[in-house]
Amino acid sequence: MNTTRRKFLNFLLSVTGLGALGAIFYPVISYLIPPQNVQAKVNSIKAGKASSFPINSYKIEKFGRKPVILVRDEKGAFHALSAVCTHLQCIVQYRKDLRLIWCACHNGKYDLHGRNISGPPPRPLLEYTVKIVNDNIIITQPS
Amino acid sequence: MKKLIGIITLVFTISFAFASVNYAATTANKKSDTKVKNTCLNCHTENENLPEDFKKYDVHLAAGLTCASCHGGDPTSDDDAVAMSKKKGFIGVPAKKDIPKLCGKCHSDIRFMRKYNPRMETDQVSQYFTSVHGMQLKKGNTDVAACTDCHTAHAILPPNDPRSTVYAVNVPQTCDKCHGNKELAKKYGLDPNVYNDYKASVHGKDLLEKKDTGAPACNDCHGNHGAVPPGVKSIDLVCGECHVNNMNYFMNSKMGVAWKELGYHGCVECHSNHKIIKPQDDFVGTSDKAFCVKCHDEGDEGYNVAKSIHSSLTKLDTLIKQAKEKLAKVRKFGMDDLDISYSLKEAHQAIVQSRTEVHTFDSSKVKAKVKPGIEAARKAIKKADSEIREYSFRRNGYAAATLIFLVFIVLFYLKIKKKKD
Repeated sequence: MNTTRRKFLNFLLSVTGLGALGAIFYPVISYLIPPQNVQAKVNSIKAGKASSFPINSYKIEKFGRKPVILVRDEKGAFHALSAVCTHLQCIVQYRKDLRLIWCACHNGKYDLHGRNISGPPPRPLLEYTVKIVNDNIIITQPS
Repeated sequence: MKKLIGIITLVFTISFAFASVNYAATTANKKSDTKVKNTCLNCHTENENLPEDFKKYDVHLAAGLTCASCHGGDPTSDDDAVAMSKKKGFIGVPAKKDIPKLCGKCHSDIRFMRKYNPRMETDQVSQYFTSVHGMQLKKGNTDVAACTDCHTAHAILPPNDPRSTVYAVNVPQTCDKCHGNKELAKKYGLDPNVYNDYKASVHGKDLLEKKDTGAPACNDCHGNHGAVPPGVKSIDLVCGECHVNNMNYFMNSKMGVAWKELGYHGCVECHSNHKIIKPQDDFVGTSDKAFCVKCHDEGDEGYNVAKSIHSSLTKLDTLIKQAKEKLAKVRKFGMDDLDISYSLKEAHQAIVQSRTEVHTFDSSKVKAKVKPGIEAARKAIKKADSEIREYSFRRNGYAAATLIFLVFIVLFYLKIKKKKD
């Protein structure tokens, strides 16, 4: 009876010991291999290769918590602007035909520097700085 | 030879003397140009009888104009009989009917205005006489506003100066001085509550509370100097200047065509004119709050379309609300909210577009806009649920780990104790 009790206690000790080790190492491993989340606060982002970005096109990039619209105009120059319309916070697009930034929600229009052209948006879009470093497109928060 | 040298010296001396006198005279003229004598201001300041609204920052005074520029007279004379002599063109306080022409003396002269403000328009007076105010003033009605009623007479500032009575944020109050006057309103059959209605409107709240000068003030719909009530046929066009999609959708819809035939006013029928409240999804549909049921009866096509549009909007709105509640929980727990926020942005975009699409009065078009929003909202909810589960897992895991540690410590203690015994 005593042997069985001892065996059981030893077994319990081993299990709880392993559990305790697991409780120590699980957070350590989780810390060392974090989930693939975008950083919450960023000052600059890489937005792909300049050479592979088609002329007269655009894409929306995640700049931390803020979406940014990256546009390559017909002359090949890059422009990055806040993608959130200043009217009702819709995500804006680049209109190839009009060659300007357009909000589909209420037809707000901005130029490629974010300045208001027409429609209800009350304010311009914030313009980000775009630099090409070794063919990488770097978008930086304006100072 | 000596004679010749003497003559040359004399010529040089005389030329130099003339040049000096000429230079001195030119300098004196320039000085008097930059600081014009304004004896009117001096005396009226000393005697403390300046006009009630007089401000030193007045744009005309700052530009070097004198009181005489408007009132006539001689501002260089210290003798008040001469300074305010009719012979010198003194007119005193101008009659109200003469004010537009008086201001127009300079403001309609493009060459004169260019010296001070090259970009300034010079058609204000001609525009004014096309307005109801201008037309009435021409008839001798002095109840209406002339230039000084809006701009003041002696504290005039450009419209981009926040101190100006015509600065966007101040315009509604400026108009209300007359349009809020109950006696005048009664006399002319106008609504004296326009200011209060506007104040409670979505535009008024943005402009007056948030000081958002992008929001329209009275003049943005009614015009500035050519102020007229928007013509019945043009109301959609007035709103459509900013709300372009809404106007285009509406004008090309079956409803737009029908309303034109029926002589309805367009936007104002549902949104009102001055008290434009934030549009609600209940405006459309079949409930008592809906405008659709004013004309459509149960069973007709319009009734069913309204019902379907309302159902689409409500479905998406409910999902967005659910997602928002879950997002708030995720944030409270300190979990990752980034992807949820992005999905919610997509859903928000879809509902804004769907609400604009309502103006097509086509339920299939609204459904098509709602669809991506529903997907985005569901994605946000799914991600939020997963984050909330992760939070519970961590919390429960912590409790389990604590328990395991405790049991382990107790067992370990017992084991050591047993060995010692």
